[in-house]
Amino acid sequence: MGAAADKLTSLATDPERYDFPAHELRAVQIEAIDERLQEKADAIKVVKFRADEAQIGSVSELADAVKLLLPHTAYKSYPESFLVKERWDRLTKWLGTVSAYPTDDIDLTGVDNIDDWVEACAKAGKYVSCSSGTTGKSAMLVSSQADLDFASRDGVAAVEWGSEISKGDNRVSAGAASAVAYTPRNTAMGKGLMGAFVDPDAPRFDSGLPPLTVGSLMGLVKLRKAIADGSADPSEVAAFEAESAKRQKALDDAQDRAVDDIISKREERLYITGMWGALYEFAERVRARGYGSKDFHPENGVYLGGGLKRAQLPDNYREYVYETFNLQPRYIYQMYGMQELNTSMPRCQEGGRYHLAPWLVPLILDKTGENLLPIEDGEYEGRAAFFDLSLDGRWGGVISGDKVSIDFSPCKCGARSPSIRDDITRYADLEGDDKIGCAGTVDAYVRGIA
Amino acid sequence: MNELTKTDSETSEPVVSAPFFVRGEVLEGADQTHRSRDLGVTFTTPRIPLDKVVAPRTEVPPLLDTPTAEIMDFLVETGDRLRARDNQHMAECVERMCTTHILPRSVVEHSVEHATRFLDKRVMTKELEENFPDPRALDEWIPKSDFTGRKSYVRAYAPRLIHVMPGNSPGVAVESVAKGALVKAMNLFKMPSADPFTMVAILRTMRDIDPGHPIVKSMSAVYWRGGDDTTERVLYRPQYFDKIVAWGGGDAINNVIKYLMPGFQLVSFDPKTSISMVGREAHADEATQERAAKLAAGDVMILNQEACVCSRFQFVEGSEQEVDAFCEKLHASIAEKAAASGDIRPLAMDLKEEVETLMMLDDEFRCWGKADGKGLVIRSDEPVDFHPINKIANVVRVDSLDDAIRYVNVATQTVGFYPFDRMPAYRNRLASGGAQRIVHLGEAGGKTIGNPHDAMYAMHRFVHWIAHEDGCDESSEGRSA
Repeated sequence: MGAAADKLTSLATDPERYDFPAHELRAVQIEAIDERLQEKADAIKVVKFRADEAQIGSVSELADAVKLLLPHTAYKSYPESFLVKERWDRLTKWLGTVSAYPTDDIDLTGVDNIDDWVEACAKAGKYVSCSSGTTGKSAMLVSSQADLDFASRDGVAAVEWGSEISKGDNRVSAGAASAVAYTPRNTAMGKGLMGAFVDPDAPRFDSGLPPLTVGSLMGLVKLRKAIADGSADPSEVAAFEAESAKRQKALDDAQDRAVDDIISKREERLYITGMWGALYEFAERVRARGYGSKDFHPENGVYLGGGLKRAQLPDNYREYVYETFNLQPRYIYQMYGMQELNTSMPRCQEGGRYHLAPWLVPLILDKTGENLLPIEDGEYEGRAAFFDLSLDGRWGGVISGDKVSIDFSPCKCGARSPSIRDDITRYADLEGDDKIGCAGTVDAYVRGIA
Repeated sequence: MNELTKTDSETSEPVVSAPFFVRGEVLEGADQTHRSRDLGVTFTTPRIPLDKVVAPRTEVPPLLDTPTAEIMDFLVETGDRLRARDNQHMAECVERMCTTHILPRSVVEHSVEHATRFLDKRVMTKELEENFPDPRALDEWIPKSDFTGRKSYVRAYAPRLIHVMPGNSPGVAVESVAKGALVKAMNLFKMPSADPFTMVAILRTMRDIDPGHPIVKSMSAVYWRGGDDTTERVLYRPQYFDKIVAWGGGDAINNVIKYLMPGFQLVSFDPKTSISMVGREAHADEATQERAAKLAAGDVMILNQEACVCSRFQFVEGSEQEVDAFCEKLHASIAEKAAASGDIRPLAMDLKEEVETLMMLDDEFRCWGKADGKGLVIRSDEPVDFHPINKIANVVRVDSLDDAIRYVNVATQTVGFYPFDRMPAYRNRLASGGAQRIVHLGEAGGKTIGNPHDAMYAMHRFVHWIAHEDGCDESSEGRSA
């Protein structure tokens, strides 16, 4: 790693890490991005391609870095036929275009399915986290061991900064049953957080649901394709429908048991995790059983990651969840982050804003994602993009689909880092679907396979 | 055109005004502000006068007793006025569209001009003849009788139509107005955000000809954001409209489908993908290959590949060497057309990423051109995952065109074919797979006047077929039903 990048990432253990004003860091951040380019461009083909095309040999201002950002879709740019036709050598070659380390040491012997492939990559130190894109393709994000370690340490530190949940709390874990994507990154984060905040001897709820691996989604992907091209038989569709119903039933049953579980632990000091959509429904079920605020421990903590993800909830969904589990503000941790980044952005208590660590460089773009907006005094709005200097196994520059309001001036909480307002939306959700044309794809002709 | 464009003080984006047209009346106003998705332009409209855009069932459609011949005369005059250089409405419309539409000015101007070709008496007559066994049913109650001696009258009765317009082809507006008028419908056009101007400009042009004409009194054009429940829950009812004529797929059509019910039917123009099939005869010699590649490029580049008829995948029979030589010529021709159109839109970010990945995996895919919106050909062994758009052709090499049949599906519309004499050998299988039109390569945009679209005769679907039973002839032994 370069000196400038090292200097910034070494602040990870600094308790004041969210107190560096952006203008003081800018020069060293630009220097660090340039170091990354020099180190990684030859290794990461997709970055090399970008740099050559934009004729950028070095980064001397933020605008240069913008030309080197990858859209989040870069990690799902592989041809789907590689998966469907089980062409693991080709998929490995594709991985080599986004990985910072060569992929030719991945041993494909005995690889029979995509889960095997992910495992083979892991054996060679390439940890591939596949998003559970059901209608579209899965994104495949490759990390190194260093990335997993960093994300996990940073994740724990961010919780401690953003709430009064502390290491050694020895809490008892609980939460909604859900089919969570089982990825190296989620596993590493989960281990780190549980290790820090949860009593290792306390009973953990086991949903009994099979882990949602990319392999478990392949059947769905294949069926969708078969329906689209007209080769799926009605009996295949019927079998899928039956399987879906069974899965839904298993999830419902697991949810009942999760409700039993949290009720039985209500006297304990809990560590609750989940997404808003699942937690809201979970809270409803707990209330339906006659339990609520008065029954739960006043120091219960919650880890909230991610936005609504298109869940349709009433306006008071937050208060509803907080009240149900007796969650006090200082034990509510909420973060902004994304699978494409290594670094969490914790929400501060007083300002209610998400703060950026010194090694996470914000690049706020116009809506198209092509141009850097000038940094303004006060809050302004744009498409979120970041350069995460902590990333080792892949490129750190990512353009998101999120619309954010950022402020480079100090926050009400006192921290001087740039901060993002807690009202992040996705551009895709804002647009609706008012664009009608006569041209379109067969996707519009496939119903109910998601 | 300074008056047309103001600036939104908050976003510093241009704001354009989009008036409504309600049965002869032009409604200006800035009660509501909307955004055009494609270019991020803001436009303002009046509030929708709900009670005026819906005519009560007690009102007989105004065009019912206007003879078809007179309607055609009016439409022909409308066509003349639309093409006229001094037509201020159309000039303003083109100006406004260039700020909201994804297509470049020259393409917009040409497509409006092109669309008016429908407004020709011979064209419209032929359309009616093909759509109706007896077009007189539009003008009068046609006497019928059967072998039992039973007599009756049948009328192609004027329907109440709501048209959900697409935003990608300004020409559709002209044709929709004309067809709506020919079937004597009471029409409400829901304009698209990509083009909330053309329809009103056409209707204003008609109003200038005769503000009191029953055609003018039968037309309304308004805008609301597609899927906006507060408007759609109110209007999408059988008491107000017989049929909803909708374009597109996905959320756009799902929004409509949830309102369908007895008496409120859907006539859908589905989202389509078109392809080409090129047999090995194309590689006979340089000149033949050059010609076939030019024809294929023509089909790719109709409306700069924004329409449903544009070819996106070309299945080419031949060896890799032959197919690559074809690709090179195809690319040259596409790039030439792209440059001539002045269209320099870059590729969408996701699409660019996917294309560039294929370039990096170059041992399996081969590309001619770059992911820069200036024309690109990708050769692969099976169709790429993404939807080729913005001047991209995906040539899929096949050993035999028989192998290409399996890529035809229910979304396939037009198949451009070469050589022409092999078409009969393929048309049954193509149609069975889902294809709707099989055409000579290079003629995807051409159409025999009056031919079906989207596997149907649309005007026949638009009208309300009404019977007037008139009992039995006394001299026969017919019985009552």
